[in-house]
Amino acid sequence: MTSSLSYQAALAAYRAGAEPWPLPEPMDPDRLLSAYHPDYLPGSMTTLAVGPNAGEQCQRELAELLQAEAYIDEVDLAGVPVTDTDVLVIGGGGAGCAAALAAAEHGARVLLVTKLRLGDSNTVMAEGGIQAAIEPGDSAQKHMQDTLRAGHHAGDPSLVAALVGDGPDVIRWLIRQGMQFDQTPSGDLHTRPAGGTSAARVVHCRDYTGLEMMRVLREAVTQHRGVEVWEQHSAVELLSNESGQKCVGAVLASRADQTLRIVRARAVILATGGLGRLHLNGFPTSNHLGATGDGLVLAYRMGAKLCELDSFQYHPTGLVNPPLLSGKLVTEGIRAAGALLLNAQGKRFIDELQPRDIVSAAIIRECQEGRGIHPASGGVGVWLDTAGLERRQPGLLGQQFPKLLARARMAGIDPRQEPILVYPTLHYQNGGAVIDAHGATTVPGLYAAGEVAGGIHGRNRIMGNALLEIIGFGRRAGAAAALSGHDRGPKKITLEHVNRARRALALAGLPLARRAPLLFPAYTAPGKDLWKS
Amino acid sequence: MEILNANLLHPRWRVGEHLQRWRDAGGGEALAIGAGNPAAILAAVKEADLRGLGGSGFPVWRKWEAVAHAPADKDKYLVCNGNEDEPGTYKDRLLLEETPHQVIEGAVLAALAVGANRVVFYVNPDLKRSLAALDLALAQWQGSAMQEQASAALGRPMALELVPSSGHYIGGEETAALEWIEGKFPFPRGKPPYPAEYGVHGCPTLVNNVETLANVPAIVRHGAEWFRAQGTGGAGGTKLYSLSGDVLHPGVYELPMGTTLRDMIFVHGGGLLSGKPIKAVFTGGPSNTLLTPDDLDVALDFDSLRERGAALGTGAMIVVSEGTGIVKRVAEYVRFFAHSSCGQCPSCKTGTATISRLLDRIDTGQGTAADMATLETLCAMLPGSGRCHLVNGVVQLLESSFRHFRQEYRQALK
Amino acid sequence: MTENAASGPAVELTINGQAVRAERHMTVVEAAWANGVPRVSGVGCLEGVCGSCRILLRRGKEVGVALACETLVEPGIEVLFLPPPAAPRHQYELTDLSDGWDIQARFQEIFPEAARCRHCHGCVRSCPKGIVVEEGVALAVAGHFREAGEAFFECVMCELCDTACPEQIAPAHVGLFCRRITAFFHLRPPNLINRLEEIRQEPPQDGKEKP
Repeated sequence: MTSSLSYQAALAAYRAGAEPWPLPEPMDPDRLLSAYHPDYLPGSMTTLAVGPNAGEQCQRELAELLQAEAYIDEVDLAGVPVTDTDVLVIGGGGAGCAAALAAAEHGARVLLVTKLRLGDSNTVMAEGGIQAAIEPGDSAQKHMQDTLRAGHHAGDPSLVAALVGDGPDVIRWLIRQGMQFDQTPSGDLHTRPAGGTSAARVVHCRDYTGLEMMRVLREAVTQHRGVEVWEQHSAVELLSNESGQKCVGAVLASRADQTLRIVRARAVILATGGLGRLHLNGFPTSNHLGATGDGLVLAYRMGAKLCELDSFQYHPTGLVNPPLLSGKLVTEGIRAAGALLLNAQGKRFIDELQPRDIVSAAIIRECQEGRGIHPASGGVGVWLDTAGLERRQPGLLGQQFPKLLARARMAGIDPRQEPILVYPTLHYQNGGAVIDAHGATTVPGLYAAGEVAGGIHGRNRIMGNALLEIIGFGRRAGAAAALSGHDRGPKKITLEHVNRARRALALAGLPLARRAPLLFPAYTAPGKDLWKS
Repeated sequence: MEILNANLLHPRWRVGEHLQRWRDAGGGEALAIGAGNPAAILAAVKEADLRGLGGSGFPVWRKWEAVAHAPADKDKYLVCNGNEDEPGTYKDRLLLEETPHQVIEGAVLAALAVGANRVVFYVNPDLKRSLAALDLALAQWQGSAMQEQASAALGRPMALELVPSSGHYIGGEETAALEWIEGKFPFPRGKPPYPAEYGVHGCPTLVNNVETLANVPAIVRHGAEWFRAQGTGGAGGTKLYSLSGDVLHPGVYELPMGTTLRDMIFVHGGGLLSGKPIKAVFTGGPSNTLLTPDDLDVALDFDSLRERGAALGTGAMIVVSEGTGIVKRVAEYVRFFAHSSCGQCPSCKTGTATISRLLDRIDTGQGTAADMATLETLCAMLPGSGRCHLVNGVVQLLESSFRHFRQEYRQALK
Repeated sequence: MTENAASGPAVELTINGQAVRAERHMTVVEAAWANGVPRVSGVGCLEGVCGSCRILLRRGKEVGVALACETLVEPGIEVLFLPPPAAPRHQYELTDLSDGWDIQARFQEIFPEAARCRHCHGCVRSCPKGIVVEEGVALAVAGHFREAGEAFFECVMCELCDTACPEQIAPAHVGLFCRRITAFFHLRPPNLINRLEEIRQEPPQDGKEKP
């Protein structure tokens, strides 16, 4: 049974192999998922004891953070300088920038804060593209059906309708910000299919779509007269009004000198992204360093309802080696372009364009059942047959996937000559803060946009919908926040919500030792860069 | 001090571009001696132990010998370097303005000594009066018998040419000067090859500072022994010190090489303004180790300062009194050098620009202990990484300011 | 066999002035983390696209710049994590550029330094992505904005070229400006425009109303 092959032996077998075998009979998707998807690993889930989602299932490592103590006490806020703004955006990725620009377009004074550098986010790493139903045979309805079906019908139809309806205008808006997309010789936007789509709908900028998007948005934000940006400032807590029912700002900690700043705002937009750096279930991640789920923690403590806390996306094709790139993505675009997945025996084992959760589960099955390939540097994986694709379509890799080639060069591999070893990697948080079509959470004054928000992708996201969501819902949240609450601003800022959460923890008998948000993974020189460590 | 302004700056020579007045005072006698026996010029300079007065302090004869021994089958160049652009240094401009013929005579003697047939006067265009005086002086010289005399002694025509430099600070670096004279941007070259082997258009080239060359006529006329006697201690000759800052009488002083800092400041400079105590001296300029009150009795010559881990440089002395902010001063000078870095070596440009930004941050109260630590790491990593010495000078200045005034940096931190 | 033995002998290097030991396969970032080195700032994507982890790197006498997440440890190297780049100096908003016919003139106004390139190659030597920065700037100055932008296609905006430029040209921003105006003025895809027109003619539906 466990006849896994070494890398060299498998490579030799691959080279000797002729055309790949036909696809085996597909396994029932539900059985496949429940048997092999990491969400179903024994012990992976727990039940939340406190907060708006008490009694619901939640991934264990995330639950520990959601049910942790705050860093800040009222006494810490004495003498801390206060800055006022209309809209505070927390997070400097694509959603944060889109929200900031939209809020500024609607006349608001905007302050955008990020614990890293502006633009340093998962957005910049996105490769495949962004979905928009623009081809003659395609429609918003088909896009909606694909999104709901791939999400196992757990998504909120009204949010999905908003998402897909925004598609074409989002692309126009991006072009007006100065973003380029690949075109066909006749000038149309070039579209690709993706796993789980019924039409070619993913528009892209080679395989650097996220980089192109992020550098353009970053420049647009820094150049915009209405947006101020504070980099290297971590949001360590939100602020509430006297009743603890409305969000009125946030407490920031400077990474340079650990000093605190209070920002009072009429509306706060969380655009903090995902949580790949929690390395759920011990998986590697495709995410950037800041993806530590801070927004979920802050929102939950403030009383915002979250959803789908037991559902995460493991992208099927993370790199296995070299170690320095372990978990980093190989874009799904390469499978959309025709690359096959092969096991150690050189056989196909899954339709490569099934939704991501299905493909990931199938890869894990192959490896668990001894049909994986083991490199000397550790780990296990299956082949992504880039070389076969290049044989069938010479030159394609060089023209459309320069990032893949550049990255493989670092690994000392030429994907045009040999296949790449891949294994699922923690990629995306399917759920998040519950929002309405304007990005409003269940807490007044608090908005969420992008990966931190939930309800759109159900229990599985399809390629290209994340970039669409961050811009579409980023703009929606920005506009709504700018137009909300034209009172004279908050009179008093308190930590009432923190007291409430602390009381709940104590009553539930939970320990108060752990503090959250995490801000940075523990392996990043603990005690050196973190606030109050 | 009777020696004050007695040689190079003797009123006898300070006649501007007027050739006849200069000749009446004895100008041209050295050329007559040198033309009769060109080989003796190098020997005299060697015996006099004349140093490179543009800042290097390098024995002049070594460069001369290398160029003299280079094959003469093509042109040989001599570049008289008057790019003078360092903060606090303003001696060459005075020589060029007031004794241009002395400089020309020195350059021609050097050309005879090494066999150079093309003499280029390379002068900073911002020094307008120097440029004008030298231009007129050269025109008169070229119409005079001395021009014939020099060519005859050389055995081929000697061409004198005035080339305004680009005005960039970095253009004063000797290989950068070669690039500019060739018509290119003044980027310092990688070394080797040295100019003596491969200079202007690939020809053997001698590059000397204006003040260095201006000393040659007196050495030829009076002999090496006389020259050495002009200095004090072990050092020979006189030096033009550019004294500035918080002293009562700033100015250019010609003093015996090896004069002490104390005499310089308190005897010649008239002491400090308002009688304040002295805090530090930035030496020329000012990309060297700082001097402090502990150094008041050190002899200001190349070797004595080197022994103390300092350097004489161009002889610029910027004196600052108590009450001056060292961090602000260092930040200002570093900004100058960072701006002047030519860009060829990313280590230099990125390194100095980073130092400059961090210093500005500290000086404006935004700096942190981490910024200080970063500066110290930069000091350890940067030296020796550039084609020229710019980055080394910045590090020297910064390190010595850390050494002597760390407390002041600490107090400026957030 | 221990893990250490499997990955070869340890490598000794210096990071932010601190001597550290690291495994051979580690990046500079991993080595810094493993040793608890202070002042490790600007680490982000860990795959060379966010451009934040800028380092100064000394190998023998050679000192250059690089991105830490793409740099493997080597014996004896010295590394310093650089502070983040300075705030941008060139101000413009695309919406202020309404007329494509005066774009050359506007470019010269916004980036007056670009025409003063002294060809020192410092930007090219500093680029961790192998971009022909100097040529890109020259193309922009000549008004070939599309080609200039294409030269900067793989730019990750680390701005190491900006720090390295003695004329303060800000090449990365020049490249991005060229890319942006190319899209802003010239990207008019028929399939997208047709679909937008269809939507404009449809009656409004649920979920599409603007707040």
